[in-house]
Amino acid sequence: MPILSLMVALPLVGAVLLVAAGGRVYRLALLMTGLELILAVVAALQVDPAVTGFQLVERHAWIPSLGIHYHVGVDALSALFLPLSALLFGVVVMTSRHHLARPMPGLFFAMLALLEGATMGVFVALDTMFFFLFWELTLVPTYFLVALWGAGPYRRQAATKYTLIMMAGGVPLLFGLLLAALDHPVPLFDLPALLATPLPVSRQTAVFLLLLLGFGVKTPLVPLHTWLATVAMEGPVAAVAIMTGLKLGAYGLLRFAIPIAPEAARSFDWLLVALGVAGILMGGFAALVQTNLRRLLAYASISHVGLVVLGLASFTLQGVQGAVFQLLSFALVSGGLYCLTGFLHQRFGSTDLIHLGGLVRSMPLATALFLFLGLGGLGIPLTAGFPGELLLLLGAAQTHFGAFLAALAGTILGAAAFLVFYRNAFLGPPAHPDLVRGPDLLPHERMALGGVSLILFLGGILPSIILDYTQGAALGWLQGVTRPLP
Amino acid sequence: MVAVLIGLVPLLPLLVALGIGIDRFLWGDRGEAGEGVMARSAQAAAGGSLLLLLFLDLVALGEGAFPGQVMLFPWLESGSFRLAVSFTLDRLSLPMATLVAVVGFLTVRFSVNYMHREGGFARFFAVLSLFLGAMFLLVLAGNPGLMFVGWELAGVASYLLIGYAVERTTAVRNATVALVTNRFGDAGFLIGLLLAQRWALPLEWSELVAGAGELDNLHVGVMTGGFLVAALAKSAQLPFAAWIPRALEGPTPSSAVFYGSLMVHAGVYFLLRLEPLLLTTPILMVFLSLVGLLTIVHGAMVGLVQTDVKSAFIFSIQAQVGLMFLACGVGWFELAFWHMLAHAAWRAYPFLSAPSYMHLVQGRARPVPAWLAPSLALYALAVRRSWLDALGEMLILRPAHALARDLQTFDEWGIDRVVGHTQGGGSPSSLGEWESLSLSGHAPDSPEVAWGRGMLGRALQRLAVGCNWFEERLLLRSGREGFDRFLLRLGHYLELTDRLLAMPRYLLLLVIMTFVFLL
Repeated sequence: MPILSLMVALPLVGAVLLVAAGGRVYRLALLMTGLELILAVVAALQVDPAVTGFQLVERHAWIPSLGIHYHVGVDALSALFLPLSALLFGVVVMTSRHHLARPMPGLFFAMLALLEGATMGVFVALDTMFFFLFWELTLVPTYFLVALWGAGPYRRQAATKYTLIMMAGGVPLLFGLLLAALDHPVPLFDLPALLATPLPVSRQTAVFLLLLLGFGVKTPLVPLHTWLATVAMEGPVAAVAIMTGLKLGAYGLLRFAIPIAPEAARSFDWLLVALGVAGILMGGFAALVQTNLRRLLAYASISHVGLVVLGLASFTLQGVQGAVFQLLSFALVSGGLYCLTGFLHQRFGSTDLIHLGGLVRSMPLATALFLFLGLGGLGIPLTAGFPGELLLLLGAAQTHFGAFLAALAGTILGAAAFLVFYRNAFLGPPAHPDLVRGPDLLPHERMALGGVSLILFLGGILPSIILDYTQGAALGWLQGVTRPLP
Repeated sequence: MVAVLIGLVPLLPLLVALGIGIDRFLWGDRGEAGEGVMARSAQAAAGGSLLLLLFLDLVALGEGAFPGQVMLFPWLESGSFRLAVSFTLDRLSLPMATLVAVVGFLTVRFSVNYMHREGGFARFFAVLSLFLGAMFLLVLAGNPGLMFVGWELAGVASYLLIGYAVERTTAVRNATVALVTNRFGDAGFLIGLLLAQRWALPLEWSELVAGAGELDNLHVGVMTGGFLVAALAKSAQLPFAAWIPRALEGPTPSSAVFYGSLMVHAGVYFLLRLEPLLLTTPILMVFLSLVGLLTIVHGAMVGLVQTDVKSAFIFSIQAQVGLMFLACGVGWFELAFWHMLAHAAWRAYPFLSAPSYMHLVQGRARPVPAWLAPSLALYALAVRRSWLDALGEMLILRPAHALARDLQTFDEWGIDRVVGHTQGGGSPSSLGEWESLSLSGHAPDSPEVAWGRGMLGRALQRLAVGCNWFEERLLLRSGREGFDRFLLRLGHYLELTDRLLAMPRYLLLLVIMTFVFLL
């Protein structure tokens, strides 16, 4: 069964159906994401972690004259992103139920489905041009989600800004991929073949820097990060949860930028380290003074992804495994926290501190889950945040001691920023009489967040499941990247 | 093989904490009806752990030897980094764990009555159980990694109980301060733990200590120094001393076990564990003695002027723990060990009965001692608690906030200026919006449909305006004006030149001119 193609096609078909279907779009969307989740879990189980290299591969000629193929496949590093993305989309659909009461619910869920299909395509694509197609395709639904259903008054400008910046980032990405392809006798867009035939070192530098720029815009790396805070403020919670939860840019670095140009990546490790540390500290400090929950979470995510980049730059097994673990766990944390933010926005019309305070009286369950997810983000043991953060820090400690110390400072900053905001928003006496009347989590909200919290907890007490799964592929990745020069 | 049972000791309380949490999630607050089950299960878990530990103690006594390292199963493995769930049962951990179990069980029993009909009954027992489990992990752990798990969980449990009164502003503020201060210590712990891994030391305690003997002293010093910071923060020694008096906002039983009896001694316990490492780094021993000495002075002085029962206790506890640090610093680890056990056992009682003192002691608070009263400086030092809060605010809080604001400004005025602001401008975002604006007479003055913001945006706009001018002036105007005319005229001139060149006299002239230039 061509399971990966099915996974890409199902949401795209679902999007068409959702536009066509008049009523019951919520059920249809839920059914579609549920099916997708099942497919994703099956796909992840079919992957044999002991085998290095890509599995579940499907390859058909697409543009034969240019050597571009429809080529999909996963390995143990990317396979886990599939069920996680499907889960996140399911949670987001579940928590977007209130969109039924807003204009064009069918189109809204269709855009989410389109985004899901494009995201899956990004994770499974093994042909660089095919990857680029899906990469750019994610912009379309995101533009409409932000522009049409955004929460802020400047949503249209934010959508325009986001799209322009992303397209500007797409240019160096495309050039980088073309440059890597054109160095061969026949243009080579096939990722496994690209990995097997290393580029000359002089060419690698240009390829790596272009790809770093292209992926860095999306990741986002400092100083290309301001769009995230803007979109987080203006966009709908559903889209923001996915944009910050699934770090496509960091995945791109892991899958394409570093393996295609390994020698350049290793000689530019100082640049990766500097970008990582800048992200950690910038995100941590900026999060300290945020008064809006959406912006705070945006900066926290910049800080987290900085740690991931730092871990990748260590070129150690712990760094790679930690990076994958952290990307997975932070998707849960960030997705869950943004969904909770959405619930608050729906109830009180704002996520700004001046409108919040003392929510614990009316929403004890939301308060507890917010803390649990937040502690997961801080890397407290018994949550899935702990193994990832520990391994990333270990990777950094082994190769870059100074950056490791800066990352430790970042963990303190992150704790301070989160806990201070949590205290001001949730604890203490209720700030306004209106806040007392908000209902606690409704059943569907409770189910969505409970599921996320449960997986976060299980990942924390049984980290070996994920670590054993990714170990072989991470070793293979590392061997490919650190092989000696021919 | 009975030693494997040790795994159950931390597990039982942790399971109870998880169970109460799931119960609350699924069925919500059941009020008084739920109290019985929760109290009984918490007691059963604490009691079960106690019995297990006593049994293991008896086995050890009977055999005349401690089981040593007990390896259960691997937990977190990535390449050469292997963190196992393993326990160390030696003459240090078994007595301490048994003491934790006794004090923990008694406190749970005490709290059943004390917390009766309190709003957060379930939360209190869940967190208390979590704390007990964390404390067992901390004490019994066979490697610093597992100990770190207990270490962090104990910090989180402490946060949750200080902020027990969730609607009281001081309580939740102090809880935040306590957890953030503890994170400094955790960062130190991570330095020690991860550097041990970097220098390829095996992580089990016994092998770690043996392996460290082969490293050079500087490496051992840095690693142990990291661990030392963690110990200082957890035991609230200087310079981290300010969080513990704030921590007394929690309910009395929790204050008793956390800061009176158990958690405050975790730092001392850690030092005892690190004894062989400390002995190889004399400079750290000197540092340790100095810190201990300063904390003794701080605790004793400040304790003299407290008018509140719990505060008076906590400063005397701080001074006592300082004594243990001093003892470790001068190498009397054995003394510190016995002091720790005796102090932990004894402190729980007065702390638990602190609320009753208000009834038992009818008189006024103790006056300031005669020798302290005349000296203004010393008195101020005592009353202001050595200015630790003010110092922390001046040295850490305010600079961090100022830097944070600067970075925020940099984002908004630096990067956003280049890329372009989203907010603030009144530019229409779509043609439709522009049309509706212009129909209603509110159209912006400039005729452009869109204009750029930020440096990139403005550069783009200039370029667009330039291109537009080019298009309009030269390409779009047809007929006698614009580009057509320009081309026509150009063609005319070219034709003229061509015709002139065709005449022989001009051709000759050109040839002569060429020769003149060449020669």
